[in-house]
Amino acid sequence: MDNGSSVLAHLERLETQVSRSHKQSEELQSVQAQEGALGTKIHKLRRLRDELRAAVRHRRASVKACIANVEPNQTVEINEQEALEEKLENVKAILQAYHFTGLSGKLTSRGVCVCISTAFEGNLLDSYFVDLVIQKPLRIHHHSVPVFIPLEEIAAKYLQTNIQHFLFSLCEYLNAYSGRKYQADRLQSDFAALLTGPLQRNPLCNLLSFTYKLDPGGQSFPFCARLLYKDLTATLPTDVTVTCQGVEVLSTSWEEQRASHETLFCTKPLHQVFASFTRKGEKLDMSLVS
Amino acid sequence: MDAELAEVRALQAEIAALRRACEEPPAPWEEKSRVQKSFQAIHQFNLEGWKSSKDLKNQLGHLESELSFLSTLTGINIRNHSKQTEDLTSTEMTEKSIRKVLQRHRLSGNCHMVTFQLEFQILEIQNKERLSSAVTDLNIIMEPTECSELSEFVSRAEERKDLFMFFRSLHFFVEWFEYRKSTFKHLKEKYPDAVYLSEGPSSCSMGIRSASQPGFELVIVWRIQIDEDGKVFPKLDLLTKVPQRALELDKNRAIETAPLSFRTLVGLLGIEAALESLIKSLCAEENN
Repeated sequence: MDNGSSVLAHLERLETQVSRSHKQSEELQSVQAQEGALGTKIHKLRRLRDELRAAVRHRRASVKACIANVEPNQTVEINEQEALEEKLENVKAILQAYHFTGLSGKLTSRGVCVCISTAFEGNLLDSYFVDLVIQKPLRIHHHSVPVFIPLEEIAAKYLQTNIQHFLFSLCEYLNAYSGRKYQADRLQSDFAALLTGPLQRNPLCNLLSFTYKLDPGGQSFPFCARLLYKDLTATLPTDVTVTCQGVEVLSTSWEEQRASHETLFCTKPLHQVFASFTRKGEKLDMSLVS
Repeated sequence: MDAELAEVRALQAEIAALRRACEEPPAPWEEKSRVQKSFQAIHQFNLEGWKSSKDLKNQLGHLESELSFLSTLTGINIRNHSKQTEDLTSTEMTEKSIRKVLQRHRLSGNCHMVTFQLEFQILEIQNKERLSSAVTDLNIIMEPTECSELSEFVSRAEERKDLFMFFRSLHFFVEWFEYRKSTFKHLKEKYPDAVYLSEGPSSCSMGIRSASQPGFELVIVWRIQIDEDGKVFPKLDLLTKVPQRALELDKNRAIETAPLSFRTLVGLLGIEAALESLIKSLCAEENN
């Protein structure tokens, strides 16, 4: 505003000058002088008017700047909004991360919907959900757990006393089932060449029966394997029987092989055992050539 | 000349008006000018901004309570997660309608006193039939590193690229760890003279001495093991230290069979009761 008043003072001085020259021109009293003075006057008035216009514009601009000084609050609010948005994105990212713990969930109007993710040796497999209603007693509204998983048993044991334990226990069962299923699927899809018959399996994938040959197309007798997974929270069988079809007594080398296969099936995942068979088979071929 | 006079009058009038404009304080809400319009705009933003800010706050509040629930549920507190996605689909793959995407994740957080930092990659391959996702790389950094029981488990999880097993077992391990610590602490408080924890309550061993029976010492070693499947279970052992003379007098070989009997005792009474009964038996005279 100081600027405005100094401009105003300056303009006033200019105006005084103009009015002085105006008086001067009148005193001369000659038309030509008048005309000339008029021309000068107009010229000076125009100058004064332009400067006043500039002053008003300047004044308006400084008013705007004044209002702009109010805007820091707005900028604070914009910053606050941005901070909120950033925090929101962060929280969303962390929620997504919980999927990698195997247990995740969303709050619902009734309670919570828990999502159990399964994996086997790094392979991410199916997810299942359990929708819980927070009431007394706690109950399962609905779920996608397969019918052959003992959900009711696990719920009866833990649901009312310890939700955490209930969910982790269910996690164990589902992950183990997923893992067994994955092994059986891989056997069927990747090593069909070594199987001499269809893979027999139950829905729970804890009883598998199949026949296989190390050298498909060869003259050897096929092996017959039966895998039982008594522990439903495990991905390795508890009982393995490998027999040789059609042979009463095995030669020592075949007996050794049979026994080693039994051990292999007990200690390594199914598809990995077969992968090692194919590698061995390649080695065998090499020895035949030499 | 008239025209010029007219111009002079017009100019003077304008100058007078401009002067008035210079003197009056402006009233932004009365002036119909850009100033007023911008002020209106600010006011509008205020309303909308406040609304969406409120929405954001609500949404944030809701998600934060979800987060707090999950943290309580899993026992795992994730504090940070960042992800980068890289599309590895080649033109050949696009022709066969195959899509290949690599995700790089970085995750950090803690589970009680254990802090972890994970870096892993997930490869997603989508073809006509299905989508397959696999963890292709897993790196785990854990603190404190002195938990030797954990380091073996960590390398196994890294090898197997088993993220879920890592978190599940970590949760159970930490649960057992805290339980062991609180049990040792509780017994130390209850029997301050008999129980000694040479390495503190977080260690895996607890000693029992009796002032009236110097030379006798019982050491309980309580380890928390994680097996191949990621199952966590406690393993307790009893070590005895007795004077030579006592061994000679021990006709029933009670000391020899002590470790085994201890295991049975734990099976019968549970860990805490079994430990307490050991303390009581050694310090029986003091209690009387």
